[in-house]
Amino acid sequence: MAATIEARGLRKRYGATVAVDDLSFTAKPGEVTGFVGPNGAGKSTTMRMILGLDAPDRGQALIGGRSYLTLRNPLCEVGALLDASAIHPGRRARDHLLWMAHYNGLPKRRVDEVIEQVGLASAARRRAGGYSLGMRQRLGIAAALLGDPPVLMFDEPVNGLDPEGIHWIRGLLRSLAAEGRTIFVSSHLMGELEGTADHLVVVGRGRLIADTTVRELLAQASGEQIVLRTPARSEAMTLLANAGATVAATDRDTITVRGLAADRIAGVLSAGGLTFSELSQHRATLEEAYMELTRDEVEFNAPTVESAR
Amino acid sequence: MSPRDGFSQVLRGEWTKLITVRSTVWCLFLTIGLTVLLSILGAQGSSTDVGAAPQRVLEDRSHFMHQPLTGDGTITARVVSQEDTGGWAKAGIMIKQSVEPETPYVAMLVTPDHGVRFQADFTTDVAAGASGTPAWLRLTRSGATVTGYTSPDGATWRQVGSFDLAGPRQAVEVGMFAATPPSGTRVFRRGGSTTAFTNYEPSTATFDNVSLNLAGGGSAGTWKSETVGGAMPLPDGTNLVGEASESGGVFTVTGTGDVREVPFTERGDDDIVQNALGGVYLGMIAAAVLGVLFVTTEYKTGLIRTTLTASPRRGRVLLAKAIVLGVLTFGCGLVASLVSLFGTRPIQRDHGYVPPYYPDPSLTNGPVLRAVLGTAAFLALMALLGLGLGAIIRRTAGAVVVVLALALVPGIAAGLLPVEGEKWLSRVTPLAGLAMQQTRERWDNWVSPWPGFAVACAYVALAIAAGVWLIRRRDTA
Repeated sequence: MAATIEARGLRKRYGATVAVDDLSFTAKPGEVTGFVGPNGAGKSTTMRMILGLDAPDRGQALIGGRSYLTLRNPLCEVGALLDASAIHPGRRARDHLLWMAHYNGLPKRRVDEVIEQVGLASAARRRAGGYSLGMRQRLGIAAALLGDPPVLMFDEPVNGLDPEGIHWIRGLLRSLAAEGRTIFVSSHLMGELEGTADHLVVVGRGRLIADTTVRELLAQASGEQIVLRTPARSEAMTLLANAGATVAATDRDTITVRGLAADRIAGVLSAGGLTFSELSQHRATLEEAYMELTRDEVEFNAPTVESAR
Repeated sequence: MSPRDGFSQVLRGEWTKLITVRSTVWCLFLTIGLTVLLSILGAQGSSTDVGAAPQRVLEDRSHFMHQPLTGDGTITARVVSQEDTGGWAKAGIMIKQSVEPETPYVAMLVTPDHGVRFQADFTTDVAAGASGTPAWLRLTRSGATVTGYTSPDGATWRQVGSFDLAGPRQAVEVGMFAATPPSGTRVFRRGGSTTAFTNYEPSTATFDNVSLNLAGGGSAGTWKSETVGGAMPLPDGTNLVGEASESGGVFTVTGTGDVREVPFTERGDDDIVQNALGGVYLGMIAAAVLGVLFVTTEYKTGLIRTTLTASPRRGRVLLAKAIVLGVLTFGCGLVASLVSLFGTRPIQRDHGYVPPYYPDPSLTNGPVLRAVLGTAAFLALMALLGLGLGAIIRRTAGAVVVVLALALVPGIAAGLLPVEGEKWLSRVTPLAGLAMQQTRERWDNWVSPWPGFAVACAYVALAIAAGVWLIRRRDTA
């Protein structure tokens, strides 16, 4: 059985709050699967259910077809970084990894290997309480890698990291996926996953919003929008609106157009005798696509302020 | 359990966890240090002057139905029955210099547990074999020498022992007596002050076939009933006095007390082993806090989630924690109690606790060994109680408060409650486990060693079982 992460109709309620509601998805080997949603969307809850820490009210979470609770040496099947600060401040980093290694019968050699791999060799004998957030993240990643597992889960791994650290993690995630592992990474910022994730599972208020590849999502969000740059902005808008397009001004000399193909727009403008300096297909960023998707799903929304332009 | 099912791995992991944190190591040192420290302070603060008492301390209290005997003679009697008020209750015949206490005597007597005996002058004691009642007894006075005999049937007599009664020999008292040693201690408390006094239960014996043959002929006189040592006023207002009567040749004698020399080891009533291990009252706090922290810091830091992802079989995780913690605290407890016991001994000696009244404790002595191991086990149990409560409550402050309440309330409430309340409290709280420290009978031993230990174990078992049950069904969020 391939080392997948599979959620089947997961549901979890805390009191009156439904944290996760009928959530199903699959993360496959060889891919980085991004798990995206606003804060409070149920990402961490889902990850805890996958790891057997919280019991789902309904549904199942399976690792390679098996429940986490049945795994004998789970660190060799799934590596997880849930909370980098979940370490005893008085314990040396190396000892922290050592007890985990003992728990799953792993040799001491693995401890030194992962310390080396995450670049903590020089600080391994320091007490974890003195670690910076970035070092804690690296220690947490070392712990996840300890059992050399085919499945890895990271909850918000770039939170609080400096640019150098972010760059390092992205490279690590890509190379782990390239080794054929299943990588499952959560984030509340879609931009963090741009260029890293292959697949996206988007959630909002505990429900699945999209389960798609990055390419598909971008295409969908970019839609048929066309960006037009012209000195005669208002005339162009009138002409195109009359031709049945939806238009919006975005700048002093730019407008975006929907509902008309590029060649038709060029035709309408030429027929009206208007000049334009640019006519291009709009390319949405992942962030925009995400905003589009989760517009109605943000739990704690700031009130929208009318822009007085 | 086979090594392949991973429990030994979890044990090893938890062991590593426990010994790689400085606060744990500090708590262990504190457990030892506080125990020894308080033990030493306790030894410094207590003293005894038992060694200043005279070499020979006599106890001479019985009820005596007697008449004078001038010259030689023989008294014979059959003890028909004896009330079993204790193994060393005594009933028999006696020739005594006078009814004044602590005067020399010779006696043939029966006891419920120690058979027929010939005893004289508080120190001579000859066993004449086990024979219950009825028992035939005889004392013959010839010159200064008094000889004791016993018989199965009143026909064939066997000599048991003889003794020379020193001193003026003309008139002595002869007759039947009954005595029984105190059966424990009664305690009452009024306005916060506690009074403990010896509890005497009288023992009644009946005699028949009583005959007094005077060597010079002549007839026996009349019997007089008298309590040797006089009536004893008790702290509860009553007077302790014996009684005797005769009806149709059957004599009934009811008496309390004992006739013997008090042995050195009974002169003082302090339990020096228990005192030497008293520091456990402080050490147990460190042990209990360590137990709590071993679980609650995992919840506080979120480490528990890492632990339970490393081993999703949660019950075993908690059991592994318990085993590792139990072994480590027992080891430290053993160090603490050995250092306390032998470290305080020179101080105790300086403060009057000297042999032969207080012999040096030895680990080859059963109760002493039980006290030492029991103290170590008690410290381990307190740590495990902390662990169980930590798993139930999950927060350091709450768990520490509960475990300290369980540990300290009996000591605080002891002086405020009526005696019955204190007794009850000492039996139902985990502190009952400290009964393992008892090495001698004392009036304030409210609970016996092993039952007390069982109470403490029950608390721990309950707390850990509840912890296991909860950790298995609760989310770790």
